[in-house]
Amino acid sequence: MTEKNPCMWKKPAPVMNKKMMKSKVLIIGGGVTGLVAAVSLDELGIDSIIVEKEPELGGKVKKYSRVFPDFRSGKTIVRDLIAKIQKSSRVRAVVSTSVTSAERVNGWYVVTDSNDTQYKVKAIILACGFDVFDARCQDEYGYGVYPNVVNSLELEALLEAQDLQGSLLLRPSDGKPANKIALIFCVGSRSRRLGNPYCSRICCSYSTKQAIEIIEKNPDASVTCFYMDIRTYDRGFEEMYQYAQELGVKYVRGRVSECSAMSNGDIQVRAENTLLGKPVQGIYDIVSLSVGMMPCADAADLAGMLGIERSEDGFFTRKDKFFSPHDTVKEGIFIAGSLTGLKPIKDCLLEGNSVSSRVAAYFSRYKS
Amino acid sequence: MDYRETKNIDYGFRLKGDPVLLYKDQSLVADELTHQTEKVLRQLSMEYYVLDRCLQCGICSNSCPNALLKTENAFTPRTFIEKTRLGLLDLNSDELWLCTHCGNCQIVCPFDIPLLDVMAQLRHLVVEKGAGHIPASIKHSISSIASCGNPWKEDAVDRKKWLCAAGLPQADGYDEKAVCVFLGCLAGYDRRARQTAEAAMRILRAVGIPFKILADEEVCCGDTVRRIGDFSTAEKVEELNRKNILKNNVETMYVLSPHCFSAFKNFRNPEATKNVRVELLIDLIYRLFTRGAFHFTAKIEKKVTFHDPCFFSKHLDVVHQPREILRGIPGIKILEMKHHGKKSLCCGGGGGGIWRDAGKGERLAEIRMDEAMETGAQTVVTSCPYCLSMLEDARRGDEKYQNMDIVDLFELIGEGIRHENH
Repeated sequence: MTEKNPCMWKKPAPVMNKKMMKSKVLIIGGGVTGLVAAVSLDELGIDSIIVEKEPELGGKVKKYSRVFPDFRSGKTIVRDLIAKIQKSSRVRAVVSTSVTSAERVNGWYVVTDSNDTQYKVKAIILACGFDVFDARCQDEYGYGVYPNVVNSLELEALLEAQDLQGSLLLRPSDGKPANKIALIFCVGSRSRRLGNPYCSRICCSYSTKQAIEIIEKNPDASVTCFYMDIRTYDRGFEEMYQYAQELGVKYVRGRVSECSAMSNGDIQVRAENTLLGKPVQGIYDIVSLSVGMMPCADAADLAGMLGIERSEDGFFTRKDKFFSPHDTVKEGIFIAGSLTGLKPIKDCLLEGNSVSSRVAAYFSRYKS
Repeated sequence: MDYRETKNIDYGFRLKGDPVLLYKDQSLVADELTHQTEKVLRQLSMEYYVLDRCLQCGICSNSCPNALLKTENAFTPRTFIEKTRLGLLDLNSDELWLCTHCGNCQIVCPFDIPLLDVMAQLRHLVVEKGAGHIPASIKHSISSIASCGNPWKEDAVDRKKWLCAAGLPQADGYDEKAVCVFLGCLAGYDRRARQTAEAAMRILRAVGIPFKILADEEVCCGDTVRRIGDFSTAEKVEELNRKNILKNNVETMYVLSPHCFSAFKNFRNPEATKNVRVELLIDLIYRLFTRGAFHFTAKIEKKVTFHDPCFFSKHLDVVHQPREILRGIPGIKILEMKHHGKKSLCCGGGGGGIWRDAGKGERLAEIRMDEAMETGAQTVVTSCPYCLSMLEDARRGDEKYQNMDIVDLFELIGEGIRHENH
């Protein structure tokens, strides 16, 4: 299994102590943004090293069964990118390690990681991405207490299993096929109380995508989405939302106030249908919380280490939002991906490409 | 005819130097009122973004105890804000008086909308500016507090008589550093709530804490009046209490009711009484209990359920203290209701609800009693005179609650201590 899995691929294993690796660019974060940045740096003829804290490259996208709006597999995206990196001689990748310190010496950045390897580079690209909101903080939904209340990443894994085995969606508590599914939007986003006042932007779209996937696989399934506002903002997203409604996905406007488990494992959901002004309740096999996203947990450490500013909500600030979107206040440190704000995968890929051209421009100026 | 003689005629504008008393005749001064109402709403929504930042998500709807009532026009905080925002709120309607200031909506609200402040501001418009209709019972209570210092026009002598009969010491102003207890109106005048006060004082005596009661000139704390929107009366009674506290050289004041404590905590003039330490009586008793100042030796074989007063659980974060004391009493078994702790439901007494006439089926306390019955407990324990009174009312109102016992936490503790002394 492991040989077939492209995500398990490893390039030079860091075995020696106090090893020194020299390159042009260090990419912190081996998710899709970092991978694309490495690929296009390679095309520009620039060497790079990817540092990833997980044992596999590919970040969160490798866990997605399908990616909106065109329903391609997340695994395929990652596999293609990794194949390109494997072919290239300019890209090296180090996994299961995280950056512990960084300093600037004579125009070089000397970065040390947790395996005591030192990287001597000219520029750093930060692409460490996001973490999903811990739904346990919103305790009225019982995430972490009731097994059938899952978050959207776990639902994605269930959908993946459904894809692989060709079976129906099975619920986690007892493995029974799940026919009634509720998706609760805006968990941990648009909430000042929980410290995330911003809209996470992509939850509406990915939840709609999940609803479509469930119904397409099992036309008997009933999917109810509890939303506040549907923000399918881009080309293709809104059409996806229309399609979901045509398929029969039910949308109820109202934030769920309470989930409670019944003796057979079903989850009872209580909310208000705010368009009708009437309380509604329903019983579901699986309740999935469409969790919002935050900057990755290491963002604070990294920002402190490298001396980069963050805004109040924890996202990194750019030097200029309009004219230098990838620059930070520190020369030679660039940012890309969801670290500056949440983006759908195609935008992350775009940022990975554009940050590499920005780095190339930085190097050409540096030479002259 | 000199127009100054006819003050009741409306000229469509306010005459200089001749203030029109707005609440005297509503129909004549509609323009002025519209203006005032609009001003308050604009302040609420524009200056503080209080109403505008509501997302209309509806998470508050199910947390509001009023939404659980099976009445036709269910009140929910969301619809209330929506109406207010659109200018559709009828200030004459009953809706304004349904909120019991339990604070459930403020806890769940993702955008921290201070709905209780909004409610108080709008009620202020009605009560002091005459922008709408006040229910008669509430009007009566406010005027009683303004004239007599308690909501029922009771005579203060009555309370003195009771204190003497019960043998409770009264503050006389001769102590240099007095430790006093602030009873509040219900515990001072209500026959049922007086038993609570007596039990609480019995505990203090048994432990050997010297205390006096601020009976002389003690008036209503002003918390509920402020929540009803009568800010000027609230300030008046607060000032009277402040004078009384200073006159008696109070160093530490223990407050029986969480409502009174809320008044002293939130609205007390901090400069004038900064040397006075104000503490909840239950905090003191909990501290004494944890330090082993009193023990329960006698067994009280009872299945009880604890009803969290909203001002304890949601406003002051007192949740585990009463439960730990209850667990210390041998023989007591605690059965929790469906909604308990921070998520408990209101008895309906706060925010002026205690003075509102609610018919059968409209009482929030009935929901609470139903939940208590479901647990299988025989006794509902609570720790607030308002809750005690509201739950007793609900019990009296229906046959099916006849076998339930409603007691105050202090009464249970007092019972345990009395057994010990024998």
